[in-house]
Amino acid sequence: MASVTFDSVTRRYPGADRPALDALNLSIDDGEFMVLVGPSGCGKTTTLRMLAGLEPVDAGRIHIGSTDVTETDPGARDLAMVFQNYALYPHMTVAQNMGFALKVAKVPKAEIRTRVLEAAQLLGLQAHLQRRPKDLSGGERQRVAMGRAIVRRPQVFLMDEPLSNLDAMLRVQTRNQIAELQRRLGITTVYVTHDQVEAMTMGDRVAVLRDGVLQQCAPPRELYRKPANVFVAGFIGSPAMNLFTVPVVDGAVSVGGYALALPPEISAAAAELTVGIRPEQLQIADRGIGVEVEFVEELGADTYLYGRTVDRPAPQSVVARVPGGTEIQRRSRLSLHLDAADLHFFTTDGARLG
Amino acid sequence: MTARTGRPVRHRIGRLLGVYAGLAGVAACALFPILWALSGSLKRQAEISQPMLFPAHPQWSNYLDVFARMPFWRMLFNTVLYAGCVTAGQVFFCSLAGYAFARLPFTGRDTLFVLYLATLMVPLTVTVIPQFILMRVFGWTDTMWAMIIPGLFGSAFGTYLMRQFFATLPVDLEEAAILDGCSPWQVYWRILLPHAKPAVMVLAVLTWINVWNDFLWPLLMIQRKSIATLTLGLVWMQGEYVAEWPVLMAASMLMLAPLIVIYAVAQRAFINGIAATGFGGR
Amino acid sequence: MNPTRRRARAGRWFIAPNLAAVAVFMAFPLAFSLYMSVQRWDLFSPPTFVGAANFRDLLTDDPLFGIAVRNTTVFTVGTVVPTVLISLAVAGLLNRTIRGIGLFRAIAFLPLAVSSVVIAVVWQFVLNTDSGLLNIMLGWFGITPVPWLTEPHWAMASLCLVSVWKSVPFATVILLAAMQGVPESLHEAARIDGAGEVRRFVSITVPMVRGALWFVVVISVINAFQAFDLVYVLTGSSGGPETGTYVLAIMLFQHAFAFLDFGYASALAWVMFAVLLTLTIVQLRLSRRNAMDQ
Repeated sequence: MASVTFDSVTRRYPGADRPALDALNLSIDDGEFMVLVGPSGCGKTTTLRMLAGLEPVDAGRIHIGSTDVTETDPGARDLAMVFQNYALYPHMTVAQNMGFALKVAKVPKAEIRTRVLEAAQLLGLQAHLQRRPKDLSGGERQRVAMGRAIVRRPQVFLMDEPLSNLDAMLRVQTRNQIAELQRRLGITTVYVTHDQVEAMTMGDRVAVLRDGVLQQCAPPRELYRKPANVFVAGFIGSPAMNLFTVPVVDGAVSVGGYALALPPEISAAAAELTVGIRPEQLQIADRGIGVEVEFVEELGADTYLYGRTVDRPAPQSVVARVPGGTEIQRRSRLSLHLDAADLHFFTTDGARLG
Repeated sequence: MTARTGRPVRHRIGRLLGVYAGLAGVAACALFPILWALSGSLKRQAEISQPMLFPAHPQWSNYLDVFARMPFWRMLFNTVLYAGCVTAGQVFFCSLAGYAFARLPFTGRDTLFVLYLATLMVPLTVTVIPQFILMRVFGWTDTMWAMIIPGLFGSAFGTYLMRQFFATLPVDLEEAAILDGCSPWQVYWRILLPHAKPAVMVLAVLTWINVWNDFLWPLLMIQRKSIATLTLGLVWMQGEYVAEWPVLMAASMLMLAPLIVIYAVAQRAFINGIAATGFGGR
Repeated sequence: MNPTRRRARAGRWFIAPNLAAVAVFMAFPLAFSLYMSVQRWDLFSPPTFVGAANFRDLLTDDPLFGIAVRNTTVFTVGTVVPTVLISLAVAGLLNRTIRGIGLFRAIAFLPLAVSSVVIAVVWQFVLNTDSGLLNIMLGWFGITPVPWLTEPHWAMASLCLVSVWKSVPFATVILLAAMQGVPESLHEAARIDGAGEVRRFVSITVPMVRGALWFVVVISVINAFQAFDLVYVLTGSSGGPETGTYVLAIMLFQHAFAFLDFGYASALAWVMFAVLLTLTIVQLRLSRRNAMDQ
């Protein structure tokens, strides 16, 4: 059983006014691919490093399987880590890098050879086994770092932004390879990234963190459809969800001169709401939110409109995604129609309603 | 490896204690000769073989004896004079030359620099005899000129150090000054030298310590006590007062003290110098 | 005059004093020393040309030369090997950020500021047969006093001991700086791979500082080969008890400034130079091959 459990885990750096990680409760199932995502400083790398044993735990417990590993040495936790800058041993060959942990564990030489070869074949590294890291490309080094982790057959894989040093095209390719590899090997994986696209495409579940606090942990689809708060709503999805802060009047709200009826339980909840609608869910029509276009980005397949609602005295920003080829002029006025079912409602504190 | 997590390591405290024990051992090894000398300097001649660190009646008079037997203040003055002059000269002339080698376009610059580097390889043993003869020819033996002039205009090593440093400074600094109408001298004096403080500190500290601790050259050059250095003075005392350990130790302590002060104050520059250049500890 | 010419001229003026000093006190002596090595000269009578006679006498006819070479070799090996091993360990010990480490480092590096002369005088006291600290401590364990400085073999051992004491701080500074350049992520990766502290030191830290290690070896050999101050003050100007510590630098000093045989001494100096140069080149070659992957 290689599940991972964080039980009210807290980390506070000396001299900081808020904890880097505040009472995190998270449980990861055996074989699950869990992505930790959030802006810098949110605590995702701290969480990973605490799981690795590289950072001390100030409060709470961490379990791998049924064993409490909070006080255990990193080397005794039976996990493997892929570092952001790969941390390959420069003075060792690829084969030696991959075999180092096994050598430390006194695994017999023949078995080390077999397992290293096996991992090398899995990653296409057979030709590079006798070379040194400095002679490899970035992508090859990344694969060696992965190979080093795979060879150990650990209970848990930890990955700290392994794709951030690769160029864009290589990143997409490697992303798929990693996801495929994890599916094949079935090892519990905790993956840290700041890129929400990686999070959405790779994770079985995604944990969104902000300022040391877990915002939501759910499968990608649910994060997209039912974000638990305003932060998650704005973080997931690109371009970000449109959020309008509007007063409730007679059980309805008005955005850009367009009235949106509210379900009764929502209108009863507060006098002011934040209403959210994703750019891809807005269409140009005859009736809808009144918008004055400020600029247009034509990307070929899609066109993005950036503008402001016609509300006075406080117009609010709007972004809409419409099919490419639509002819829009700057400074033109349009109406954007939406489906009431696509609306998200949040209190002014940010919590989701409904 | 199959699952075998766990094995919490509780001997983290034990490991830490072991480290501190090791560090204490290293500190003891580094300090004990000096401490033993210090304690010896405070004992009476009869007590010196007793192992206590501090004698019951510390004989501060031993220190006074040093002044009676050797012209300590004179020698201190001489040593400071030589070290000061040579250090000032080295810093000025080597930084000037270092700047020239790094940035000024005169013919033969790079070849000349390579030749400079070549001289660094020549061991002291080869050059000391001709230098001795040179001093005789100039008539400087047994004068303070022999102690000051050879090092006053700088050395290949100092120039190498400064040149390497200047090469790492951004060219923009200079170019801005040149655009403002500065002559090369003004660029050097007003702009670059103020920015060269770390390298200058390192060169100054290394030079000072080397001149202060120099033994062979004063040994060859100096006969008169009035211009002698502290190193020479200590060795003369060693020869004259054989086995009078308390006084000898007191003299050693007196010689040591100024350097320890410099070390305490300029430790960072000193260490950086050694780490960056590998020179020092003669 | 255009700006470039002006700068070039300034360059020439700037290097002039320095260049003059280097030419007069380094380049000229180098050439003159070579000239002297083929003369017989005692400063009072004019020099006489003797060709390679000095070198021949030195290398084939002089028993003291053989002794000096043997002693210098023993001293060099006996200093460099312990220095490297001990300073590796000390640097490893100092390479951490626990509380008080700054103080321990300052103490460990203290001998750097002390001159060879003071070190030698102080250690003479420590090694004194009757009243030295070492023999006193040995006496606690019932061991008879050791003639540290009065018996030829022990004198050489003492010389090595003191030389190691003096050289370790220097080597430690360099090694520590190199160790601090090893990226922390490498240590973290090794920890996760299960390597304990000693294992990490041997398999990661030491290989990563190979360049600095070679540098320390080369510099230590050069220094030990030419050691003079320490030998002179600790064991005397004639090379210790029964030439027990008669090293090449002492021989040179003796022939040049005691016997005033400048030609012979210069020849000796050039032989030392040649040996040193060869040793250094060999070491550099070895280190280049060894550290090719860094």
